[in-house]
Amino acid sequence: MTVETPYLSADAQLPYCRGCGHALVVRHLSRALEHLGLSPRSVVLTTDIGCVGLADSLFPYLHTVHTTHGRSTAFATGIALAEASLEPTGLKPIVMIGDGGAMIGLLHLVHAAQLNVDITVLVHNNFLFGMTGGQHSALSPLNWITATTPDGNWTPPLDLLALLRTAHAGFLARQFATSQELATTLAEAIDFPGFSVVEIVELCTAYGTRWNQASGASLQEIVQRQGYALGKMESEMERPTFRELYRHEPESRRPRDSRPAVPRVNAKADLAGEVRLVVAGTAGERVQSAAGLFCRAALAAGLYSTQKNDNPVTQGSGFSLAEICLSPSPIEYTGLESPDVVLVVSEDGWKELQANGTLAACRKETLLLVDSQIGVTPPAGRLLQLPLRREANPKRAALAAIAAWLEKNPLLPSEAWEAVLAAEPAERRAESAAALEIGRRLALSCADL
Amino acid sequence: MLAEGALAAGCRFFAGYPITPASEVYEVMMRELPARGGLALSAPDEISSLCYCVGASLRGLKAMTATSGPGWALMIETVQYALMTETPVVVALVQRLGPSTGGATQGAQGDVWLAEFSTSGGYTLPVFSPSNAAECFELALHAFNWSERLRTPVVLLSDKEVGMTSEVVDDDALQLPSLVNRSGVTGAADYAPYALDEPDGVPAFAAVGGEVKVTATGSAHDRRGRLRKNSPEVIEVLLHLQHKIEAHAEEMALVRPDLDSGARCLLISYGVTARAARQAVSKLRSEGSRISFLQIQSLFPIPRRWLDQATASVEAVFIAEENLTGQYRAALASSLSGKRTYGINKIGGLISPQEITRAVREVMA
Repeated sequence: MTVETPYLSADAQLPYCRGCGHALVVRHLSRALEHLGLSPRSVVLTTDIGCVGLADSLFPYLHTVHTTHGRSTAFATGIALAEASLEPTGLKPIVMIGDGGAMIGLLHLVHAAQLNVDITVLVHNNFLFGMTGGQHSALSPLNWITATTPDGNWTPPLDLLALLRTAHAGFLARQFATSQELATTLAEAIDFPGFSVVEIVELCTAYGTRWNQASGASLQEIVQRQGYALGKMESEMERPTFRELYRHEPESRRPRDSRPAVPRVNAKADLAGEVRLVVAGTAGERVQSAAGLFCRAALAAGLYSTQKNDNPVTQGSGFSLAEICLSPSPIEYTGLESPDVVLVVSEDGWKELQANGTLAACRKETLLLVDSQIGVTPPAGRLLQLPLRREANPKRAALAAIAAWLEKNPLLPSEAWEAVLAAEPAERRAESAAALEIGRRLALSCADL
Repeated sequence: MLAEGALAAGCRFFAGYPITPASEVYEVMMRELPARGGLALSAPDEISSLCYCVGASLRGLKAMTATSGPGWALMIETVQYALMTETPVVVALVQRLGPSTGGATQGAQGDVWLAEFSTSGGYTLPVFSPSNAAECFELALHAFNWSERLRTPVVLLSDKEVGMTSEVVDDDALQLPSLVNRSGVTGAADYAPYALDEPDGVPAFAAVGGEVKVTATGSAHDRRGRLRKNSPEVIEVLLHLQHKIEAHAEEMALVRPDLDSGARCLLISYGVTARAARQAVSKLRSEGSRISFLQIQSLFPIPRRWLDQATASVEAVFIAEENLTGQYRAALASSLSGKRTYGINKIGGLISPQEITRAVREVMA
């Protein structure tokens, strides 16, 4: 695409106060873009809130996205991420943000640097919030007088570039807005493949120079006092860009349905109404996976099922339980209310059922099949204890308990179990088959079941 | 199923941040989206998640994130930005028990107000609420379609019970709309990103990075996206943000009605509670009660014509929902004027069919 007009027209009416550094930056930016010969449609200028946010309207040929306060870097990152997933068009997001926006959106800068997305961030550091009346910012120098620090700022300023260097930014530079080298630095930053940031140090002539003994000449002194170097900073290392990293995703990835495929068998389940049961044990002992296998077997035999798992927030310790509802017709309400069957394979599971009210909700018809090692206070219901943990081992106990109950309540055909076991990974299949066998054997040895 | 629905809807960008009970969606998208040519990414917080999605959508990709109440609270600024810039994006809001951190693994339907009434100015945000796994899939398609068609953020309001219950889905029974994709703009020299011929029209979408210059802004703007103050055109553009939604309200309506023309009362519910409500209605009818039932899937815009039809002959309306003060009941108030309304509310656990039947019997006896 040919450009008939420069990026920023020479007679553009800039909306900035006399002497404001922002005016210099937009001119240098225009020069940098011209120098690089970028097509205007391959640049998206993403502006933040503040005086700097007026810049988008000055570039009539670029894509412009004027955003919310501090978030400009994140929106630009989103654009760059999407771009990286598409065929390359050479689109380059450039962010214009102030020192206030840089702090409220700090993690966006940090993450963009970590990702090494191909964006360039221009941080206009004029030591305060200009548009809102000259309030203190996190980058204000010590003793700087602002509307909100009338006695001078006492919090040490944040060295943004030093921080972004620790986030592995690949290109970092600091220049005065008045520097003749600014256009060159900006061009270099924009041309850099990956995350680049340029901190442009300038003065707000509406507030900064009004309240402080500061002029263009004293900027050097201010940055020296803060120990800030000018020019390009040494960056840590060369890194692949996000696009390069993303393109190196393993080729072996293939789409798959997140839902387990369940084979259907010809033999049908023998269940007239709904059954609601709960399986409870200890986290890490395959309680919920046993319940899942059971539900899949029920589905294979034509039943509907719902399964709800629960465990403490720590996930890997304490109780683990699954509430199951089986029905020959679609299931609406999934609450357990009063369970028909309670299978408990560890002390953790028993205590949780006591605590969450499940045991108290048992009726006299409720069957409770509980491991022999658990010291129980008999609840309402029919209680039977089997040596599940000892005979099956703790990790097979839940599935053994399910099998023991089913042995005396044969609602699923054996084909259903065979079908879902065949779909299991080989190493899991043998374990599950053994658990089912032990459960059946225990049931047969228990005359009361 | 919600993630599968999003994939089927053509979602090509996802950015997420872990939060129970929405992490399943995040994990499925992280695994499946790259395998299908899209991009899924871990963001450093929920604000970034949605900003990334909106940026990707501006670039032309269908985008979604998933979160729960605490994360949604952080996203509201960016939801408003998407609304103002007319950028399509879908947020799956999987509710848990609030307020604050609340109960991460406990279900609730307490974010109805937070979802809908989250914009300054009170603009209508389309909100769809599934009650089971199959509806998660179906409504994900509808959410993307309306987001794309109307260039607006859309909320998929699920909850822990719907999102974290494994259940059987019959793929053949799913009712799926055909997909809506963005119409691209090419070569239009005088493209105005917020042009509108009619007050309820939707401007054509052009992606950032394309041949046509795009001007996006969250500030009050004219049709060309120029920052303006005191311009009548700015107000026209603002009014249009609401008009374009209202004009499609009836078309957007999604309900599962089970009406009885001789009913004395109507039960309304949505999300997971609709399941208990459906069961309660069967029970009440088996006892001889004349009762209608309306499950609302498109909570907002409110499906008024359906409400008019369902309430035409009834004396009393019951609204069952798992929150403290009857959030949707309050939102429906103006649509139910002249009817006696009763809330069936509870927090901390599912509302059971028995609790609903009891509440209805007490009033209707």
